[in-house]
Amino acid sequence: MAQFYRERDSFLHHLDPRVKIVGTILGIAAIMLYNDPTILIPLFFIFLLIGVVLGKISVWEQVTLLKPLLPIVVITIIIWPLIYKPRFMGVLFGVSFSMRLLTFALLTFLLLATTSQGDLILGFVKLGMPHEYGLTISISLRYIPTLYRLAGTIMDAQKSRGWEVEKGNFITRARKMTAVLIPLLVSSLKTAHDLSIALESRGFGASPKRTFIREIRMGRRDYMVLVLMVVFFVLALYARYGLDLGHISIYPR
Amino acid sequence: MIQVKNLHHTYENGREVLMGIDFEMGNEVVALVGQNGSGKTTFAKHLNGLLKPTEGAVKVDGLDTREHSVAELSGIVGYVFQNPEHMFFEENVFREVALGPKNLGLDEKEIEERVKWALKAVNLEGYEERTPYSLSGGEKQRLAIACILAMKPRYIILDEPTTGLDARSFESVAEAIGRLHSDGHGILLITHDMELVLRLAERVVLLENGRKTFDGPVEEFFSFDLRSYGLDRPELLEIGRKLGTGFVRSVPELIEKLSGEGVDGAILP
Repeated sequence: MAQFYRERDSFLHHLDPRVKIVGTILGIAAIMLYNDPTILIPLFFIFLLIGVVLGKISVWEQVTLLKPLLPIVVITIIIWPLIYKPRFMGVLFGVSFSMRLLTFALLTFLLLATTSQGDLILGFVKLGMPHEYGLTISISLRYIPTLYRLAGTIMDAQKSRGWEVEKGNFITRARKMTAVLIPLLVSSLKTAHDLSIALESRGFGASPKRTFIREIRMGRRDYMVLVLMVVFFVLALYARYGLDLGHISIYPR
Repeated sequence: MIQVKNLHHTYENGREVLMGIDFEMGNEVVALVGQNGSGKTTFAKHLNGLLKPTEGAVKVDGLDTREHSVAELSGIVGYVFQNPEHMFFEENVFREVALGPKNLGLDEKEIEERVKWALKAVNLEGYEERTPYSLSGGEKQRLAIACILAMKPRYIILDEPTTGLDARSFESVAEAIGRLHSDGHGILLITHDMELVLRLAERVVLLENGRKTFDGPVEEFFSFDLRSYGLDRPELLEIGRKLGTGFVRSVPELIEKLSGEGVDGAILP
């Protein structure tokens, strides 16, 4: 999660994390309303543009973040025409479903790229997520680099005993990894145990009411953006159900 | 013989940790001391090939560490890591110690002999069926030494072998290390524990900010003002000096000197 964040000075970066979370959810819900590629493709580019203009995240950065989804996109476009007749409509659905997926991912990436980890968790907690969960998430993210270093140390220790992971076929290599995984698991469990004791001894959970060092407050701009997003979403609902736009029936009646 | 010539090491992030170290050791006990971040561990990791020199060369018994894998070098230079729990993963002590010899490709009979011998050397006979994680701190440390010992390396590097041990466990670990030395192993101790240095080391190497600033006999090292290096002078040395026995390494040695020669002015029971 931390590696998605891009430190910039932009409109989206300064927006309240709660507004961004709500916006992402509304955006995803809006995409789910449509399955017509003539609407979904422009929507994707609109969000891409929002990322560039309001978030100062370049097109290239956004595309790089989406690259891991390429195999799924390709498979979707290939499979739809195989199972749907007429073929042409199948291709169309394949394209629109992969556009949905890409826009879905793009919105999530934009949220992660413009919101620091701490702000994001704070936003979720302020939206009603129990702060214990927030703490759990931030601690687990915080320990990823530590675990990575620990795994390096353990591998060094095992190499010093003549252990070589590179040798042998897949199964022997997998079995050899137990030499790293078991010490890693034991150390992690011990750390977790120590951590829980440390938290308790510092009074974690002593009072049901909890204060925060960093407070976030919704400004006028945040409210305006929120209202604007809700308006857009209502318009999207109206276009879909009132005007019956953007939906192609998959199952012929 | 371990030979280190003009060793430089720079980490990938550009931090230069070692700046031209020359070092040689044979079958002796060398203590490697220095403050945190002085490059002790980085230096030691070069001796069995875990790290490769950025510049300069490291040779162990004539083998250049750049041309051989850690696995190949592990039969010559053993490295006991600071936290023994970072290496235990087998279900019992026997299998844990057997891992190293197995990796060296020895036959079963030889492996069994070596495990027995290694466990005996560290005073852990009869522990074969125990789970490594169920042992006490001192026992775990000795088991970690046995795991390396079973590979019969000529040189053994011990990283902080006595950190966090109580007096009795210290004693058992120090004794085990002492025995290894008398069996002809070259030993490199990385430690902050001056009691251990006094007790076992013949030679001390001091690292400061990636440079070797002292390399000489232990007696000479302890004549320095150690506080300026952030180290404590062992109380035993102070007592020996006051009683006029000169340089002593352990309490039994002190008592022997006092009762044997009858030092002037010393009050004896």
